[in-house]
Amino acid sequence: MAAAAVANRGFGLARPGWRARLDVVRTVFIARIHIITRYKGAIFMEALLPIVFAAMPVLLGTAVAGPRAGEVFFGRTGTANFKLYMLLGASTFTVVSLMLWLIGYWVRREMETGTLESLYLAPARKIWVLAGVTSYAFLRAMIAFVIALGLGSLVFQVNPLQGGVGLALVFLVIGLIPLWGLAFMFGALIMKIKEADSVIQVLQWVLAFLMGVFYPLALLPPYLRLVAGAFPPTVMTDAVRASILGIGYFFGSPYLSLAVLFAMALVVPLLGYEVFEATERRLRRKEGVGHY
Amino acid sequence: MDAIIRVEGLSKTFITKERRKGKKGKRVVHALKDVNLEVYAGENFGLLGPNGAGKTTLIKCLTTLLLPTSGRAWVNGYDIFAHEDEVRASLGCMLMGDRGLYWKLTGRENLDYFGALYHVPRSVRRPRMQYLIDLLKLDDFIDRTVETYSSGQKMLLAFAKALINDAPILFFDEPTVTMDVPTARELRRIVRSLNKEEGKTIVYTTHLMHEAEELCDRVAIIDRGEIIALGTPNELKSSLVREDVVHLEGVLPATTIEKLRAIQGIRNVAVQAETNGRTKLSVLCDNSRLLLPRIIEAVTGNGASLEYIKPQEVTLEDVFIAKTGRSLAVDTREVVKEEKRGGGGRG
Repeated sequence: MAAAAVANRGFGLARPGWRARLDVVRTVFIARIHIITRYKGAIFMEALLPIVFAAMPVLLGTAVAGPRAGEVFFGRTGTANFKLYMLLGASTFTVVSLMLWLIGYWVRREMETGTLESLYLAPARKIWVLAGVTSYAFLRAMIAFVIALGLGSLVFQVNPLQGGVGLALVFLVIGLIPLWGLAFMFGALIMKIKEADSVIQVLQWVLAFLMGVFYPLALLPPYLRLVAGAFPPTVMTDAVRASILGIGYFFGSPYLSLAVLFAMALVVPLLGYEVFEATERRLRRKEGVGHY
Repeated sequence: MDAIIRVEGLSKTFITKERRKGKKGKRVVHALKDVNLEVYAGENFGLLGPNGAGKTTLIKCLTTLLLPTSGRAWVNGYDIFAHEDEVRASLGCMLMGDRGLYWKLTGRENLDYFGALYHVPRSVRRPRMQYLIDLLKLDDFIDRTVETYSSGQKMLLAFAKALINDAPILFFDEPTVTMDVPTARELRRIVRSLNKEEGKTIVYTTHLMHEAEELCDRVAIIDRGEIIALGTPNELKSSLVREDVVHLEGVLPATTIEKLRAIQGIRNVAVQAETNGRTKLSVLCDNSRLLLPRIIEAVTGNGASLEYIKPQEVTLEDVFIAKTGRSLAVDTREVVKEEKRGGGGRG
């Protein structure tokens, strides 16, 4: 048909280049930042959560084991610094939790406000929109991580800048890549079931349990240890903690943990995006993405 | 003329879950049935029909929000299945009224956001946004967050959002709903100018007949998922040229409609409205002058009291009545009631 030549052809008909794609990522990222900064105090408040979260097992442990708490903990984990152990667990848990739940809540909110349909009306590929949202979630999670670790160190009087801090950071950054994939899968689940709150409530505890936030994975029964080890956030938390505290790695050596995380970083995002696209196609065949 | 939108045998079936008296069941809804349609480049095309007729489903299929069950369609020459991104880039849409905006962002931030999603280059985005702000007179509120806007202001912003990518085809789904009369009139003026001066192809859905008559070059009437009439407003009205319409109002017992239908020469009788025991009827007949005494006779007696009777010029509403035997206004209200009861009706 020659009709296209009649009027203005519109933007975006030409294959968008990298600049246009990055513009989508940047604009979505900035929009999310604008939105969250208009909810006063939200970012600071969520940074306090891991401190409270870590304080509970620290106090419980002290109450149960008394002055010998560190000694008992050393016997199980290889470190007597149980306060830093808990704080690192709670802080990485906050990163994982924020990365996943922010995507889930984002999908749900976009459905409810009708903006998800607006996104699907536009030619920008959803992967770039998701990249903008996950980058925002990453930044927010890292802010919470740094504040929580900084303030928590003062509250618990521990020094997080010890052992292999640099290596821990490498584990954290690589461990976040498979989290993007998990976030896509979680977003797809929310799009399908059209409910976020109850799922997040349940998964929050499943996540904390599998990640071994407050205990070494060696305490889990063998089959659960297997499941936990296949879960990228578990490997990340274990490796971050092992690097800083100088204790044993779940996979025996830092190299093996790094290799496993690398493999997960390659596979999980692709798998996550495929799951997201398949869910999206199924929804468009049925009631549409905007149905809520 | 070139068809900028072509639809061939498009059907869409939904399977919906329903609960009746505690029992779960499934219901098949044929929202679109073998729709064939062509919209020509540069025309203002109206899609009319009551709620639940299939208008929105058709638009959602053409805008790639929904995948049709069968059939094919091309938008701006692009297959809606094979070239989704190109189809989306060819369209500017206002489908959800004032929904689809970020309330915590300002109007300007919203336009910038959607401009990026449509790959409007940053260097072009700013002047384009300013052009739209001036065109739609958004200056007073564009830098406030959308949550502070009135309904009409949100609709204007949603309209601006549809124009941000300067697309050749524009889809407007009841854009004047919730607007006050002067703003709606101004918006219709802008729609006309986009069509006549900028050459945009416009697909405009409404259930307001006067809007369709005022704006549209051609109109398709859609009912229960099927196109039941298609042509210019004049063509559609002249198809009833040998028929007259008589409007009646008063206290009219239920038997009145049967009595009227029994009169030879009367083609259709439709209830336009029923309020406080008073009924408004539209009677389609061959020759109103000849039949008027018999109509009056049928609607008097048996407790009936006729308060108003007037033969009128044929409108698109009358075309809908002639084709379906129902009034568009009443049909729309019935579907809304049905939807509130949790029944079917989507579109």
